[in-house]
Amino acid sequence: MVMRNRAAWLPWALPAIVLVMVFFVAPFLLNVRFAFSSWTSFRAEITWNGLENFSTLIDQDLLANAVTVTVVYAILCMAIQNTVSLSLALALQRTSRINTIFRSAFFLPTLISPLAAGYIWRGLLAPDGAVNSFLGLEWAWLGEPATALVVVAFIDAWKWSGLITLVYIAGLNSIPKSLLESATVDGAGPWTRFRRVVFPMLAPALTFNVAVTLVGALSAYDVIAATTGGGPGDHTRALNVVMRQQWGQGFFGSASALGFTVTLLVIATAVPLVWWLRRREVTG
Amino acid sequence: MKALVKYAALTLFAIPWVIVPIWLVVVNSFKPAGEAAELGLGLPRTWAIAENYGIVLDRGGYLMGLVNSLKVTVPIVVAVVLLGAAAAWAFGRSRSRWLQAAYFVMGLSILLPPSIIPTVYLLRALSLDGGSLGYVLTMTGCRLGIVIFLATGFVRAFPRDLEDAAAIDGASRPQVFVRVLLPLLRPVLFVGGVILIINVWNDFFFALFLLQGSANATLPLSLFQFASGTLQSLNWNLVFAHVLLTTLPLVAVYVVAQKRVLAGLTEGALKG
Repeated sequence: MVMRNRAAWLPWALPAIVLVMVFFVAPFLLNVRFAFSSWTSFRAEITWNGLENFSTLIDQDLLANAVTVTVVYAILCMAIQNTVSLSLALALQRTSRINTIFRSAFFLPTLISPLAAGYIWRGLLAPDGAVNSFLGLEWAWLGEPATALVVVAFIDAWKWSGLITLVYIAGLNSIPKSLLESATVDGAGPWTRFRRVVFPMLAPALTFNVAVTLVGALSAYDVIAATTGGGPGDHTRALNVVMRQQWGQGFFGSASALGFTVTLLVIATAVPLVWWLRRREVTG
Repeated sequence: MKALVKYAALTLFAIPWVIVPIWLVVVNSFKPAGEAAELGLGLPRTWAIAENYGIVLDRGGYLMGLVNSLKVTVPIVVAVVLLGAAAAWAFGRSRSRWLQAAYFVMGLSILLPPSIIPTVYLLRALSLDGGSLGYVLTMTGCRLGIVIFLATGFVRAFPRDLEDAAAIDGASRPQVFVRVLLPLLRPVLFVGGVILIINVWNDFFFALFLLQGSANATLPLSLFQFASGTLQSLNWNLVFAHVLLTTLPLVAVYVVAQKRVLAGLTEGALKG
Protein backbone atom coordinates (compact mmCIF):
# COMPACT_ATOMS: atom_id res chain seq x y z
CA MET A 1 0.00 0.00 0.00
CA VAL A 2 1.08 3.53 -0.73
CA MET A 3 1.27 4.69 2.88
CA ARG A 4 3.72 1.97 3.86
CA ASN A 5 6.15 2.66 1.05
CA ARG A 6 9.39 3.71 2.73
CA ALA A 7 11.04 5.88 0.10
CA ALA A 8 7.84 7.87 -0.31
CA TRP A 9 8.33 9.55 3.06
CA LEU A 10 11.47 11.44 2.08
CA PRO A 11 9.83 14.25 0.05
CA TRP A 12 7.73 15.20 3.09
CA ALA A 13 10.75 15.71 5.31
CA LEU A 14 13.15 16.98 2.67
CA PRO A 15 12.36 20.74 2.66
CA ALA A 16 12.73 20.90 6.44
CA ILE A 17 15.90 18.81 6.40
CA VAL A 18 17.48 20.98 3.71
CA LEU A 19 16.63 24.23 5.53
CA VAL A 20 18.01 22.96 8.85
CA MET A 21 21.13 21.55 7.20
CA VAL A 22 21.93 24.70 5.20
CA PHE A 23 20.95 27.38 7.72
CA PHE A 24 21.70 25.68 11.02
CA VAL A 25 24.08 22.73 10.63
CA ALA A 26 26.36 24.24 7.97
CA PRO A 27 26.98 27.46 9.97
CA PHE A 28 27.52 25.31 13.05
CA LEU A 29 30.25 23.30 11.31
CA LEU A 30 31.76 26.42 9.72
CA ASN A 31 31.99 27.96 13.17
CA VAL A 32 34.23 25.14 14.35
CA ARG A 33 36.61 26.07 11.53
CA PHE A 34 36.36 29.87 11.91
CA ALA A 35 36.97 29.72 15.66
CA PHE A 36 40.45 28.37 14.93
CA SER A 37 41.14 30.61 11.93
CA SER A 38 42.60 34.03 11.30
CA TRP A 39 39.90 36.11 9.66
CA THR A 40 39.60 39.89 9.96
CA SER A 41 38.27 42.79 7.97
CA PHE A 42 41.91 43.74 7.30
CA ARG A 43 42.81 40.36 5.83
CA ALA A 44 39.82 38.63 4.29
CA GLU A 45 41.68 35.39 3.61
CA ILE A 46 40.66 32.73 6.13
CA THR A 47 43.61 30.68 7.34
CA TRP A 48 44.03 28.13 10.11
CA ASN A 49 45.72 29.62 13.18
CA GLY A 50 45.12 27.07 15.92
CA LEU A 51 44.28 28.53 19.32
CA GLU A 52 45.48 32.03 18.49
CA ASN A 53 42.01 33.64 18.67
CA PHE A 54 41.52 32.22 22.14
CA SER A 55 44.98 33.22 23.38
CA THR A 56 44.52 36.76 22.04
CA LEU A 57 41.18 37.04 23.84
CA ILE A 58 42.80 35.72 27.04
CA ASP A 59 45.70 38.19 26.72
CA GLN A 60 43.18 41.03 26.41
CA ASP A 61 41.49 39.82 29.63
CA LEU A 62 38.27 39.32 27.69
CA LEU A 63 37.60 35.59 27.69
CA ALA A 64 37.76 34.54 31.35
CA ASN A 65 35.62 37.48 32.44
CA ALA A 66 33.05 36.88 29.70
CA VAL A 67 32.74 33.20 30.62
CA THR A 68 32.31 34.03 34.33
CA VAL A 69 29.75 36.76 33.61
CA THR A 70 27.79 34.49 31.25
CA VAL A 71 27.71 31.54 33.66
CA VAL A 72 26.73 33.66 36.68
CA TYR A 73 24.09 35.44 34.58
CA ALA A 74 22.63 32.11 33.43
CA ILE A 75 22.47 30.67 36.95
CA LEU A 76 20.88 33.85 38.36
CA CYS A 77 18.39 33.97 35.53
CA MET A 78 17.44 30.31 35.93
CA ALA A 79 17.09 30.62 39.72
CA ILE A 80 14.95 33.79 39.65
CA GLN A 81 12.78 32.61 36.78
CA ASN A 82 12.03 29.15 38.18
CA THR A 83 11.42 30.39 41.72
CA VAL A 84 8.94 33.02 40.58
CA SER A 85 7.27 30.79 38.00
CA LEU A 86 6.89 27.75 40.25
CA SER A 87 5.43 29.92 43.04
CA LEU A 88 2.98 31.54 40.64
CA ALA A 89 2.05 28.15 39.17
CA LEU A 90 1.34 26.69 42.62
CA ALA A 91 -0.87 29.69 43.43
CA LEU A 92 -2.69 29.65 40.08
CA GLN A 93 -2.84 25.92 39.40
CA ARG A 94 -6.62 25.50 39.51
CA THR A 95 -8.41 26.72 36.43
CA SER A 96 -10.98 29.21 37.70
CA ARG A 97 -12.13 32.54 36.42
CA ILE A 98 -10.04 34.62 38.82
CA ASN A 99 -6.95 32.45 38.27
CA THR A 100 -7.31 32.87 34.52
CA ILE A 101 -7.29 36.64 34.95
CA PHE A 102 -4.08 36.48 36.99
CA ARG A 103 -2.47 34.01 34.57
CA SER A 104 -3.34 36.35 31.74
CA ALA A 105 -1.84 39.36 33.56
CA PHE A 106 1.37 37.56 34.50
CA PHE A 107 1.75 36.38 30.88
CA LEU A 108 1.92 39.98 29.57
CA PRO A 109 5.70 40.51 30.10
CA THR A 110 6.32 37.50 27.83
CA LEU A 111 4.88 39.46 24.91
CA ILE A 112 7.34 42.31 25.39
CA SER A 113 10.63 42.03 23.49
CA PRO A 114 13.70 41.54 25.71
CA LEU A 115 15.05 44.75 24.23
CA ALA A 116 11.94 46.73 25.25
CA ALA A 117 11.99 44.99 28.66
CA GLY A 118 15.53 46.31 29.06
CA TYR A 119 14.46 49.89 28.35
CA ILE A 120 11.44 49.65 30.67
CA TRP A 121 13.46 48.43 33.65
CA ARG A 122 16.28 50.83 32.88
CA GLY A 123 13.68 53.55 33.41
CA LEU A 124 12.23 51.98 36.56
CA LEU A 125 15.65 51.37 38.10
CA ALA A 126 17.24 54.73 37.20
CA PRO A 127 18.83 56.54 40.19
CA ASP A 128 15.85 58.94 40.27
CA GLY A 129 13.38 56.29 39.08
CA ALA A 130 10.25 54.78 40.61
CA VAL A 131 11.94 51.88 42.42
CA ASN A 132 14.35 54.14 44.27
CA SER A 133 11.71 56.69 45.17
CA PHE A 134 9.59 53.87 46.61
CA LEU A 135 12.53 52.47 48.59
CA GLY A 136 13.87 55.91 49.56
CA LEU A 137 17.21 55.17 47.91
CA GLU A 138 19.32 56.73 45.20
CA TRP A 139 21.11 53.61 44.05
CA ALA A 140 22.29 53.22 40.45
CA TRP A 141 21.12 49.62 40.13
CA LEU A 142 22.53 49.20 36.65
CA GLY A 143 25.57 51.40 37.20
CA GLU A 144 27.03 49.77 40.29
CA PRO A 145 29.20 46.63 39.95
CA ALA A 146 27.49 45.08 43.00
CA THR A 147 24.01 44.96 41.46
CA ALA A 148 24.32 45.35 37.68
CA LEU A 149 24.56 41.66 36.78
CA VAL A 150 21.81 40.57 39.18
CA VAL A 151 19.48 43.25 37.86
CA VAL A 152 20.13 42.41 34.21
CA ALA A 153 19.47 38.72 34.92
CA PHE A 154 16.31 39.72 36.79
CA ILE A 155 15.01 41.61 33.74
CA ASP A 156 15.55 38.59 31.51
CA ALA A 157 13.79 36.37 34.05
CA TRP A 158 10.93 38.88 34.29
CA LYS A 159 10.39 38.74 30.54
CA TRP A 160 10.12 34.93 30.38
CA SER A 161 8.44 34.07 33.71
CA GLY A 162 4.90 34.13 32.30
CA LEU A 163 5.59 31.39 29.78
CA ILE A 164 7.50 29.20 32.26
CA THR A 165 4.60 29.56 34.73
CA LEU A 166 2.25 28.02 32.17
CA VAL A 167 4.59 25.05 31.64
CA TYR A 168 4.64 24.49 35.42
CA ILE A 169 0.85 24.70 35.58
CA ALA A 170 0.64 22.06 32.84
CA GLY A 171 3.06 19.90 34.83
CA LEU A 172 1.10 20.35 38.07
CA ASN A 173 -2.19 19.50 36.38
CA SER A 174 -0.75 16.29 34.98
CA ILE A 175 -0.27 14.90 38.51
CA PRO A 176 -3.03 12.33 39.17
CA LYS A 177 -5.42 13.59 41.87
CA SER A 178 -5.70 10.07 43.35
CA LEU A 179 -2.02 10.19 44.29
CA LEU A 180 -2.49 13.38 46.30
CA GLU A 181 -5.66 12.05 47.90
CA SER A 182 -4.02 8.83 49.05
CA ALA A 183 -1.11 10.84 50.46
CA THR A 184 -3.61 12.93 52.43
CA VAL A 185 -5.35 9.78 53.69
CA ASP A 186 -1.95 8.52 54.83
CA GLY A 187 -1.64 11.66 56.94
CA ALA A 188 0.73 13.75 54.83
CA GLY A 189 0.53 17.51 55.46
CA PRO A 190 0.75 20.12 52.68
CA TRP A 191 4.56 20.44 52.90
CA THR A 192 5.12 16.65 52.90
CA ARG A 193 2.71 16.30 49.97
CA PHE A 194 4.65 18.92 48.05
CA ARG A 195 8.04 17.36 48.84
CA ARG A 196 7.09 13.69 48.40
CA VAL A 197 4.44 13.78 45.68
CA VAL A 198 4.22 17.07 43.78
CA PHE A 199 7.92 17.84 43.45
CA PRO A 200 9.01 14.39 42.14
CA MET A 201 6.01 14.24 39.79
CA LEU A 202 6.91 17.68 38.49
CA ALA A 203 10.27 16.37 37.23
CA PRO A 204 9.52 16.52 33.48
CA ALA A 205 8.38 20.14 33.67
CA LEU A 206 11.30 20.99 35.96
CA THR A 207 13.82 19.31 33.63
CA PHE A 208 12.43 21.21 30.70
CA ASN A 209 12.30 24.59 32.44
CA VAL A 210 15.72 24.45 34.10
CA ALA A 211 17.38 23.30 30.87
CA VAL A 212 15.56 25.84 28.72
CA THR A 213 16.21 28.80 31.01
CA LEU A 214 19.89 27.95 31.56
CA VAL A 215 20.64 27.27 27.90
CA GLY A 216 18.66 30.34 26.78
CA ALA A 217 20.44 32.63 29.24
CA LEU A 218 23.89 31.49 28.04
CA SER A 219 23.09 33.30 24.77
CA ALA A 220 22.23 36.53 26.63
CA TYR A 221 22.48 39.68 24.56
CA ASP A 222 19.30 41.76 24.10
CA VAL A 223 18.66 42.89 27.67
CA ILE A 224 22.31 43.83 28.16
CA ALA A 225 22.32 45.81 24.90
CA ALA A 226 19.33 47.82 26.09
CA THR A 227 20.58 48.46 29.64
CA THR A 228 24.30 48.42 30.41
CA GLY A 229 25.98 47.64 27.10
CA GLY A 230 28.36 45.44 29.10
CA GLY A 231 29.19 47.92 31.87
CA PRO A 232 29.90 49.12 34.46
CA GLY A 233 33.45 48.28 33.39
CA ASP A 234 33.12 44.71 32.20
CA HIS A 235 30.72 43.51 34.91
CA THR A 236 27.91 42.53 32.51
CA ARG A 237 30.05 41.86 29.44
CA ALA A 238 28.71 38.43 28.52
CA LEU A 239 30.17 36.30 25.71
CA ASN A 240 27.73 37.49 23.06
CA VAL A 241 28.38 41.13 24.00
CA VAL A 242 32.13 40.66 23.45
CA MET A 243 31.33 38.74 20.27
CA ARG A 244 29.37 41.67 18.87
CA GLN A 245 32.17 44.09 19.83
CA GLN A 246 34.83 41.91 18.16
CA TRP A 247 32.63 41.59 15.10
CA GLY A 248 32.12 45.35 14.98
CA GLN A 249 35.89 45.91 15.15
CA GLY A 250 36.44 43.50 12.27
CA PHE A 251 37.89 40.58 14.25
CA PHE A 252 35.68 37.91 12.71
CA GLY A 253 37.84 34.97 13.81
CA SER A 254 37.82 36.07 17.45
CA ALA A 255 34.08 36.67 17.25
CA SER A 256 33.63 33.09 15.98
CA ALA A 257 35.80 31.83 18.83
CA LEU A 258 33.46 33.55 21.30
CA GLY A 259 30.41 32.06 19.60
CA PHE A 260 32.07 28.67 19.80
CA THR A 261 32.65 29.20 23.53
CA VAL A 262 28.90 29.75 24.00
CA THR A 263 28.28 26.46 22.19
CA LEU A 264 30.77 24.65 24.45
CA LEU A 265 29.09 26.11 27.55
CA VAL A 266 25.68 25.01 26.29
CA ILE A 267 26.91 21.46 25.70
CA ALA A 268 28.71 21.38 29.06
CA THR A 269 25.50 22.55 30.79
CA ALA A 270 22.83 20.69 28.90
CA VAL A 271 24.27 17.20 28.66
CA PRO A 272 24.91 16.53 32.38
CA LEU A 273 21.79 18.46 33.38
CA VAL A 274 19.42 16.50 31.19
CA TRP A 275 21.13 13.24 32.21
CA TRP A 276 20.99 14.04 35.94
CA LEU A 277 17.44 15.36 35.96
CA ARG A 278 16.22 12.42 33.88
CA ARG A 279 17.78 9.96 36.32
CA ARG A 280 16.12 11.71 39.24
CA GLU A 281 12.88 11.65 37.32
CA VAL A 282 13.00 7.84 37.16
CA THR A 283 14.11 7.18 40.74
CA GLY A 284 11.80 9.93 42.05
CA MET B 1 -10.19 33.62 54.25
CA LYS B 2 -7.12 31.73 53.06
CA ALA B 3 -8.13 32.45 49.48
CA LEU B 4 -8.50 36.13 50.34
CA VAL B 5 -4.94 36.28 51.69
CA LYS B 6 -3.68 34.46 48.61
CA TYR B 7 -5.31 36.81 46.13
CA ALA B 8 -4.30 39.86 48.16
CA ALA B 9 -0.69 38.63 48.00
CA LEU B 10 -0.95 37.94 44.26
CA THR B 11 -2.36 41.42 43.67
CA LEU B 12 0.41 42.99 45.73
CA PHE B 13 2.92 41.07 43.64
CA ALA B 14 1.24 41.98 40.34
CA ILE B 15 1.53 45.72 41.06
CA PRO B 16 5.34 46.00 40.74
CA TRP B 17 5.59 42.98 38.41
CA VAL B 18 3.04 43.91 35.75
CA ILE B 19 1.09 47.10 36.44
CA VAL B 20 3.86 49.58 37.29
CA PRO B 21 6.10 48.66 34.31
CA ILE B 22 3.20 49.04 31.88
CA TRP B 23 1.99 52.24 33.54
CA LEU B 24 5.48 53.76 33.41
CA VAL B 25 5.63 53.19 29.66
CA VAL B 26 2.15 54.47 28.93
CA VAL B 27 2.14 57.58 31.11
CA ASN B 28 5.66 58.72 30.21
CA SER B 29 5.00 58.30 26.51
CA PHE B 30 2.37 61.05 26.97
CA LYS B 31 4.75 63.56 28.58
CA PRO B 32 7.08 66.15 27.01
CA ALA B 33 10.79 65.28 27.13
CA GLY B 34 11.71 67.27 30.23
CA GLU B 35 8.90 65.85 32.32
CA ALA B 36 9.52 62.27 31.15
CA ALA B 37 13.18 62.62 32.14
CA GLU B 38 11.99 62.58 35.79
CA LEU B 39 10.67 59.04 35.14
CA GLY B 40 7.82 59.64 37.58
CA LEU B 41 4.60 57.65 37.72
CA GLY B 42 2.30 60.68 38.02
CA LEU B 43 -0.04 61.91 35.29
CA PRO B 44 1.47 64.36 32.77
CA ARG B 45 1.36 68.02 33.79
CA THR B 46 1.54 68.86 30.08
CA TRP B 47 0.25 66.34 27.56
CA ALA B 48 2.36 65.67 24.48
CA ILE B 49 0.69 62.63 22.97
CA ALA B 50 0.40 63.86 19.39
CA GLU B 51 3.94 65.26 19.29
CA ASN B 52 5.62 62.16 20.74
CA TYR B 53 3.80 59.62 18.63
CA GLY B 54 4.12 61.88 15.60
CA ILE B 55 7.89 61.92 16.00
CA VAL B 56 8.07 58.13 16.45
CA LEU B 57 5.95 57.52 13.37
CA ASP B 58 7.87 60.11 11.38
CA ARG B 59 11.51 59.89 12.47
CA GLY B 60 11.44 56.61 14.37
CA GLY B 61 10.88 54.50 11.30
CA TYR B 62 7.92 52.85 12.98
CA LEU B 63 5.69 52.25 9.96
CA MET B 64 8.54 50.84 7.90
CA GLY B 65 9.52 48.66 10.86
CA LEU B 66 5.95 47.42 11.17
CA VAL B 67 5.80 46.47 7.51
CA ASN B 68 9.22 44.82 7.68
CA SER B 69 8.29 42.86 10.81
CA LEU B 70 5.11 41.57 9.18
CA LYS B 71 7.03 40.80 6.00
CA VAL B 72 9.36 38.41 7.84
CA THR B 73 7.15 37.08 10.65
CA VAL B 74 4.33 35.81 8.43
CA PRO B 75 6.51 33.75 6.02
CA ILE B 76 8.63 32.35 8.87
CA VAL B 77 5.62 31.21 10.89
CA VAL B 78 3.81 29.74 7.87
CA ALA B 79 6.95 27.96 6.62
CA VAL B 80 7.92 26.56 10.02
CA VAL B 81 4.42 25.31 10.82
CA LEU B 82 3.70 23.72 7.42
CA LEU B 83 7.15 22.30 6.67
CA GLY B 84 7.48 21.24 10.32
CA ALA B 85 4.16 19.38 10.22
CA ALA B 86 5.04 17.65 6.95
CA ALA B 87 8.45 16.59 8.30
CA ALA B 88 6.93 15.45 11.60
CA TRP B 89 4.56 13.20 9.66
CA ALA B 90 7.50 11.57 7.89
CA PHE B 91 9.60 11.29 11.06
CA GLY B 92 6.69 9.88 13.03
CA ARG B 93 5.69 7.24 10.47
CA SER B 94 8.79 6.21 8.55
CA ARG B 95 11.17 3.60 9.93
CA SER B 96 13.98 4.59 7.57
CA ARG B 97 17.32 4.86 9.42
CA TRP B 98 18.29 7.91 7.39
CA LEU B 99 15.18 9.77 8.44
CA GLN B 100 15.68 8.77 12.07
CA ALA B 101 19.24 10.11 11.89
CA ALA B 102 17.92 13.34 10.40
CA TYR B 103 15.35 13.53 13.22
CA PHE B 104 18.19 13.32 15.73
CA VAL B 105 19.91 16.27 14.03
CA MET B 106 16.64 18.25 14.21
CA GLY B 107 16.62 17.56 17.96
CA LEU B 108 20.18 18.85 18.33
CA SER B 109 19.22 22.06 16.54
CA ILE B 110 16.81 22.88 19.39
CA LEU B 111 19.46 22.66 22.06
CA LEU B 112 22.54 24.13 20.40
CA PRO B 113 22.80 27.89 19.90
CA PRO B 114 22.75 29.08 16.26
CA SER B 115 26.16 30.20 14.95
CA ILE B 116 25.47 33.72 13.83
CA ILE B 117 28.84 34.74 12.38
CA PRO B 118 29.21 31.83 9.95
CA THR B 119 25.57 32.49 9.02
CA VAL B 120 26.54 35.98 7.88
CA TYR B 121 29.42 34.46 5.92
CA LEU B 122 27.16 31.85 4.34
CA LEU B 123 24.47 34.37 3.38
CA ARG B 124 27.14 36.57 1.80
CA ALA B 125 28.38 33.57 -0.22
CA LEU B 126 24.80 32.94 -1.36
CA SER B 127 24.30 36.69 -2.10
CA LEU B 128 21.48 36.74 0.44
CA ASP B 129 23.14 38.98 3.05
CA GLY B 130 21.48 42.02 4.51
CA GLY B 131 18.00 41.38 3.14
CA SER B 132 14.75 39.85 4.38
CA LEU B 133 15.00 36.61 2.38
CA GLY B 134 18.25 35.52 4.04
CA TYR B 135 16.77 36.40 7.43
CA VAL B 136 13.57 34.44 6.73
CA LEU B 137 15.49 31.35 5.58
CA THR B 138 17.85 31.48 8.57
CA MET B 139 15.10 31.91 11.14
CA THR B 140 13.10 29.11 9.50
CA GLY B 141 16.10 26.76 9.59
CA CYS B 142 16.82 27.60 13.23
CA ARG B 143 13.23 27.34 14.50
CA LEU B 144 12.00 24.25 12.62
CA GLY B 145 13.56 21.87 15.15
CA ILE B 146 11.26 22.67 18.06
CA VAL B 147 8.05 22.40 16.03
CA ILE B 148 9.21 19.14 14.42
CA PHE B 149 10.10 17.73 17.82
CA LEU B 150 6.74 18.61 19.41
CA ALA B 151 4.70 17.48 16.41
CA THR B 152 6.56 14.18 15.86
CA GLY B 153 5.72 13.13 19.42
CA PHE B 154 2.10 13.91 18.60
CA VAL B 155 2.13 11.92 15.34
CA ARG B 156 3.62 8.90 17.10
CA ALA B 157 0.94 8.99 19.80
CA PHE B 158 -1.80 8.66 17.18
CA PRO B 159 -2.68 5.30 15.62
CA ARG B 160 -2.30 5.38 11.83
CA ASP B 161 -5.76 3.88 11.22
CA LEU B 162 -7.30 7.21 10.24
CA GLU B 163 -4.65 7.87 7.63
CA ASP B 164 -4.94 4.31 6.28
CA ALA B 165 -8.70 4.55 6.09
CA ALA B 166 -8.47 7.81 4.16
CA ALA B 167 -5.92 6.25 1.80
CA ILE B 168 -8.15 3.24 1.20
CA ASP B 169 -10.98 5.63 0.38
CA GLY B 170 -8.78 6.90 -2.43
CA ALA B 171 -7.38 10.08 -0.87
CA SER B 172 -3.96 11.09 -2.20
CA ARG B 173 -1.17 11.78 0.24
CA PRO B 174 -1.46 15.56 0.10
CA GLN B 175 -5.20 15.14 0.71
CA VAL B 176 -4.52 12.93 3.74
CA PHE B 177 -2.06 15.53 4.99
CA VAL B 178 -4.52 18.40 4.69
CA ARG B 179 -7.69 16.58 5.80
CA VAL B 180 -6.40 14.18 8.45
CA LEU B 181 -2.98 15.15 9.68
CA LEU B 182 -3.20 18.94 9.97
CA PRO B 183 -6.48 18.83 11.98
CA LEU B 184 -4.95 16.15 14.19
CA LEU B 185 -1.87 18.27 14.84
CA ARG B 186 -3.79 21.49 15.35
CA PRO B 187 -3.28 21.82 19.13
CA VAL B 188 0.46 21.32 19.00
CA LEU B 189 0.90 23.48 15.89
CA PHE B 190 -1.09 26.23 17.60
CA VAL B 191 1.21 26.17 20.63
CA GLY B 192 4.29 26.05 18.42
CA GLY B 193 2.91 28.91 16.33
CA VAL B 194 2.22 31.11 19.37
CA ILE B 195 5.72 30.66 20.79
CA LEU B 196 7.16 31.21 17.33
CA ILE B 197 5.25 34.46 16.75
CA ILE B 198 6.41 35.87 20.11
CA ASN B 199 9.93 34.76 19.34
CA VAL B 200 10.20 36.09 15.79
CA TRP B 201 8.32 39.35 16.38
CA ASN B 202 10.66 40.19 19.27
CA ASP B 203 13.89 38.91 17.76
CA PHE B 204 16.69 41.44 17.99
CA PHE B 205 19.89 39.35 17.94
CA PHE B 206 19.46 37.76 14.49
CA ALA B 207 18.08 40.97 13.05
CA LEU B 208 21.10 42.93 14.31
CA PHE B 209 23.53 40.68 12.42
CA LEU B 210 21.46 39.72 9.37
CA LEU B 211 19.42 42.78 8.41
CA GLN B 212 21.27 45.80 7.10
CA GLY B 213 20.03 49.32 6.64
CA SER B 214 16.77 50.87 7.79
CA ALA B 215 15.02 49.64 4.63
CA ASN B 216 14.97 46.12 6.11
CA ALA B 217 14.90 46.93 9.83
CA THR B 218 12.24 45.11 11.84
CA LEU B 219 10.59 46.77 14.85
CA PRO B 220 13.11 45.70 17.53
CA LEU B 221 15.95 46.85 15.30
CA SER B 222 14.25 50.16 14.60
CA LEU B 223 13.60 50.60 18.35
CA PHE B 224 17.29 50.00 19.07
CA GLN B 225 18.48 52.38 16.35
CA PHE B 226 16.01 55.01 17.52
CA ALA B 227 17.02 54.69 21.19
CA SER B 228 20.74 54.54 20.41
CA GLY B 229 20.42 57.71 18.34
CA THR B 230 19.89 59.61 21.60
CA LEU B 231 22.34 57.50 23.58
CA GLN B 232 23.80 60.09 25.95
CA SER B 233 20.47 60.82 27.57
CA LEU B 234 17.57 58.71 26.39
CA ASN B 235 14.53 60.69 25.35
CA TRP B 236 12.35 58.57 27.57
CA ASN B 237 9.05 59.91 26.21
CA LEU B 238 9.98 58.90 22.67
CA VAL B 239 11.62 55.59 23.63
CA PHE B 240 8.53 54.59 25.60
CA ALA B 241 6.22 55.65 22.78
CA HIS B 242 8.24 53.41 20.46
CA VAL B 243 8.19 50.55 23.00
CA LEU B 244 4.42 50.86 23.26
CA LEU B 245 3.86 50.90 19.51
CA THR B 246 6.29 47.99 19.01
CA THR B 247 4.55 45.82 21.60
CA LEU B 248 1.02 46.84 20.68
CA PRO B 249 0.44 44.52 17.67
CA LEU B 250 1.34 41.44 19.71
CA VAL B 251 -0.76 42.59 22.68
CA ALA B 252 -3.71 43.25 20.36
CA VAL B 253 -3.52 39.72 18.95
CA TYR B 254 -3.14 38.36 22.47
CA VAL B 255 -6.19 40.22 23.79
CA VAL B 256 -8.32 38.71 21.02
CA ALA B 257 -6.92 35.19 21.32
CA GLN B 258 -5.86 35.05 24.98
CA LYS B 259 -8.30 32.34 26.03
CA ARG B 260 -7.03 29.95 23.38
CA VAL B 261 -3.41 30.97 23.90
CA LEU B 262 -3.49 30.35 27.66
CA ALA B 263 -5.49 27.14 27.37
CA GLY B 264 -3.28 25.90 24.53
CA LEU B 265 -0.07 26.61 26.40
CA THR B 266 -1.25 24.98 29.64
CA GLU B 267 -2.98 21.98 28.10
CA GLY B 268 -1.75 21.35 24.59
CA ALA B 269 2.00 21.56 24.94
CA LEU B 270 2.90 18.56 27.06
CA LYS B 271 0.43 16.06 25.69
CA GLY B 272 1.35 13.58 23.01
